[in-house]
Amino acid sequence: MDCGFISCHDCGKLISAKEIPEGFQPACPRCSADIHARKPHSLSRTWALIITSAILFLPANLLPIMRVDFLGSQEYSTIMDGIIYFFHENEYGIGLIIFTASVLVPLFKIIGMTIILLSIQFKWKSWLRHKTAMFHFIEFIGRWSMLDIFVIALMSTLVKFGTFTSTQAAPAASYFTAVVLCTMFAALTFDSRLLWDTESSNP
Amino acid sequence: MSDTPPLIACHACDLLLEKPDVATGQKLFCPRCKSQLYQKKTDSVNKVLAISFSGLLLYIPAVFAPLLTLNAAGMNQDGSIFDAFLSFYQQKYYFVAITLFLTSIFFPLFKLSLLLSITIQIKLRLYSRSLPFLFRAANSLDEWGMPDVYLIAIFVTIIKISSMASIHYNLGFICFLFLTMMTRATTSALDPEIFWQEIDRMKKYSTKTAAND
Repeated sequence: MDCGFISCHDCGKLISAKEIPEGFQPACPRCSADIHARKPHSLSRTWALIITSAILFLPANLLPIMRVDFLGSQEYSTIMDGIIYFFHENEYGIGLIIFTASVLVPLFKIIGMTIILLSIQFKWKSWLRHKTAMFHFIEFIGRWSMLDIFVIALMSTLVKFGTFTSTQAAPAASYFTAVVLCTMFAALTFDSRLLWDTESSNP
Repeated sequence: MSDTPPLIACHACDLLLEKPDVATGQKLFCPRCKSQLYQKKTDSVNKVLAISFSGLLLYIPAVFAPLLTLNAAGMNQDGSIFDAFLSFYQQKYYFVAITLFLTSIFFPLFKLSLLLSITIQIKLRLYSRSLPFLFRAANSLDEWGMPDVYLIAIFVTIIKISSMASIHYNLGFICFLFLTMMTRATTSALDPEIFWQEIDRMKKYSTKTAAND
């Protein structure tokens, strides 16, 4: 950007800033995406989505996510109950997978993005390379939190034996899905180049 | 003046670099932020064409054929990917149901059919104005198709219910397994830079012939 070029977000083509007339929304000549030097309103959009997901994270974990009916009795369980159940059954591998996907990953995304956003706001210039790597990791793991929702969907389809036993979703499923979507959108609206702008402006 | 300078900008930190020659299979990393910039792949268009076509053949049985059959207390119960979406819908969790529909049913189909139509257009040199838009859509919506996450969820479910019922694996399970592999394979065979260059070349050719007409 300092050298008079803007790179397209979508296809990476470099466009000379001189070719762009002022006061005009330019489009990339190769892929026709709108061109911006940085993603528009990146910081405020990402902040909004991260705060939203932090708030939704509470009901997602405190409310029950699944209901098991067994011979007429109803039993609600939260995400943590499900994980503890696996540890009691000595299924440590599965317990760890679910714990990582549904608790650790969303928590890591929220905390990690907050650190990155704070360091842009206060122009902290250290550990930039690690923060960029962390952002790539957050981008990559985003989708894997949907795991628990898929498991509940499959359970409620397959475990349906009339009055004997059946499985149903419970309210936290909606909150949890919202958390995953918000954090994924937060990674999309965030522009990691903002981290490095503080560095290149003060050589 | 050439319209593309021999420079590239790092997508993660915007460092401007001279575009080096990358040998096939080599990866290029940004010297400043260590993000991966580019990996050159061979024969990308042909591979994506073949893989997306075989993926599409598997799609209908993978989504609509039953994955597993459970047998417990003398009763049988089976379910497909589509049934799993329906069960959330019937429980009136519409928001979750829509997300489920998009991530497990719509986007895998969308990605494979988009890539198939793009590669066919490139192979046959059929340029249309929508081509850059289609390829852009295929790239930016890629992460929203989650058959790989779903596959792990199927394995978790199998372990969860293996203690309470006997499980039979059905056609849908095998097809979904291979569909997931095909979707992953398109991503690893896809070299966006090659595709953009092809699309760019076709665009120039089509405008040139239009001018000659």
